Amino acid sequence: MFQDFFYKLRDFGIPVRPTDFIRLQGALAEGLILNLQDFYVVARSVLIKSEKHFDKYDRIFAHHFQGADLDEAFADELGMDIEEMLAKWLQDPQNFPGLTDEEREALKKMDPDELMKYFQDRLKDQTKRHDGGNRWIGTGGRSPVGHGGFFPGGMRVGGSPGSRSAVKVAMDRRYIDYSDGGMLTPEKIGEALEKLKHMKRRGPKDQLNIDKTIRETVRQGGEIELVFDRRLVDKLKIMLFLDNGGWSMTPYVPMTRSLFTLARSQFKDVRFFYFHNCIYDVVWEDPMRYHKPVKMADILRREPETRVIIVGDASMSPFELNHTRGAIDYGSLQTTSGLSWLRRIKQTFAHTVWINPMPAEEWDYSYGSFTVGLIREQIPMYEMSIKGLEGAVEELMSKYPRPPAPEPKPEPYRPNRW
Amino acid sequence: MTDSLNQPKNFSGADSYVLDEELAKVVNVAMRLELPLLLKGEPGTGKTLLAHAIAQNLDMPLIVLNVKSSMKAVEALYQYDTLTRLNDSRFGDSKRDVSNIENYIKMGKIGQAFTSDCRVVLLLDEIDKADSDFQDDLLDVLDAMQFDIVEIDKTVTARRRPIIIITSNAKKDLSDPFLGRCVFHHIAFPDQDMMRKIIKAHFPDLADKVAQVAIEAFYQLRQIRGIEKKPATRELIHWIRAMVGDPDFKVKELKTGVSAPLLGLLFKKSDDLDRAKKTVAAGMRQ
Repeated sequence: MFQDFFYKLRDFGIPVRPTDFIRLQGALAEGLILNLQDFYVVARSVLIKSEKHFDKYDRIFAHHFQGADLDEAFADELGMDIEEMLAKWLQDPQNFPGLTDEEREALKKMDPDELMKYFQDRLKDQTKRHDGGNRWIGTGGRSPVGHGGFFPGGMRVGGSPGSRSAVKVAMDRRYIDYSDGGMLTPEKIGEALEKLKHMKRRGPKDQLNIDKTIRETVRQGGEIELVFDRRLVDKLKIMLFLDNGGWSMTPYVPMTRSLFTLARSQFKDVRFFYFHNCIYDVVWEDPMRYHKPVKMADILRREPETRVIIVGDASMSPFELNHTRGAIDYGSLQTTSGLSWLRRIKQTFAHTVWINPMPAEEWDYSYGSFTVGLIREQIPMYEMSIKGLEGAVEELMSKYPRPPAPEPKPEPYRPNRW
Repeated sequence: MTDSLNQPKNFSGADSYVLDEELAKVVNVAMRLELPLLLKGEPGTGKTLLAHAIAQNLDMPLIVLNVKSSMKAVEALYQYDTLTRLNDSRFGDSKRDVSNIENYIKMGKIGQAFTSDCRVVLLLDEIDKADSDFQDDLLDVLDAMQFDIVEIDKTVTARRRPIIIITSNAKKDLSDPFLGRCVFHHIAFPDQDMMRKIIKAHFPDLADKVAQVAIEAFYQLRQIRGIEKKPATRELIHWIRAMVGDPDFKVKELKTGVSAPLLGLLFKKSDDLDRAKKTVAAGMRQ
């Protein structure tokens, strides 16, 4: 029973396990599931192990079990929330998430009456399309008045869903907040950083080492000798380098800022440095990049166990990265190109990662794709998402961090014959 | 290890726990399938309280294991008190038989749950604090409902399978095999209707109007942008308790937004508090 449903969950990328499916059958046999509502709750609790997948589960459930009462459920749903939706939408129609640029432009030109009409039209359209059922998953979230799109940030909590049909509850999409593709919130950054730990015996000697105590005691013929060890202390040292100059980083400032705040609160020994576009022989300790310059050469003398996190979009002109005088706003004589500096950092601090606030899928196509590619050869790069941060943390804690690419051979001198 | 009786008694009983239907169903499924129930959710949404409520409801003793970051799985099972034995063997002034190691084995929380004469509710609180080794080590124990005491080569089997509730603060995902052996539920933040019921359960004497005003204000305060740690049910309950106890508190002022007292009870981070205060002050000027 319900094999189709099970495989559909699998097909849509929810890691469901066969053993859990058998357990679900057990629950059925036990008589724990008497109706669809029961099935909705029980199947979710047995099959789905993370709230990240709850939203997907809701959608697949609604899709799969759109039985006879689906139309009715939706009519009700729309009737119930229509005023609320309208009010919300009218407040700020243009900035409603999920709009295409064209739609936004079109909306700007409408007066309130037109807006209202547009809304109602879309609503009708939407009802029709929902009747079709099948396309709901595909279109959810796109249309400005669609169901998924309507509650973009707001997780609607059903509270006590007892009297409502399971499909309806599923259609609430109460868990949209928790899905994997969701925004990177401070909590989520905190979760990712949590894994960065490096316990070492450094604390006061206040932990009794029983094995040694026994051995020592026996050695002394029963005269008790207590042996104490040092306590485990987190000795992780972190250096964070942030690209805070230039327009290209501007859109990512809030995200980066919360990453920094969290890093500061979570790690005892963390130092912040600022740079512009690429790291050259000097970075700064003040965000203004003026008062407190620090020589990279000094930084490179720090403990090699230090973890280095570089945050930047890695987008610059190739000249800035490759040329020995590439620094665009630092006047002193440079002898080393930005790329070589990055290579040196990675060589000195084996645990170095680059976190790029630009989504990974844009890396190959954006303005900075060339330099992004070059830097990635030297330093493992991760996007600033939950997944990316987790990957970065893994690399930072890994025993065998990825080495940098070999230094490119200098181009042989070819005199220009023309 | 302290006795389970010494646990702080800071819960107010099952009468004040409002169980939503979904959660009730999940609890029953976990009990019938004899699987541990893993609860996740924002802090302050009543994960720990649920275990207390179940224990009270089913009239079973509750054994709480507060997981710590440095905890080893063995500590949760049993402890071999080598030091006492060493001491006894050295000075020989105790009544214990030094040659019998079993006299020096103390049961940990899980061990206590297994050896208890009646069925108990076992709460593993905030399991995410410990490292994944801890979880992996507990896997087999919870699966087979038995563990070995290596020192005396004895197997402890659960006399009555305890009802196991595990909470996690959603800090990180638990290991896959561990998840595979649990029934999972995520306690979502309650909506206003649910919250009214919760408040009613905690303050049966509180006038509905006052509760309504406080809840509405609370949900508005929760909406303030840029708050890092949003206040949860726990904070609301404390807030209402403090306001009701405050002789200067005027419902009208809260309702009309003239003032929102004691914000420090809702916002625990100083940045958040500042922001909330500013927002409230800005609301007053309008």
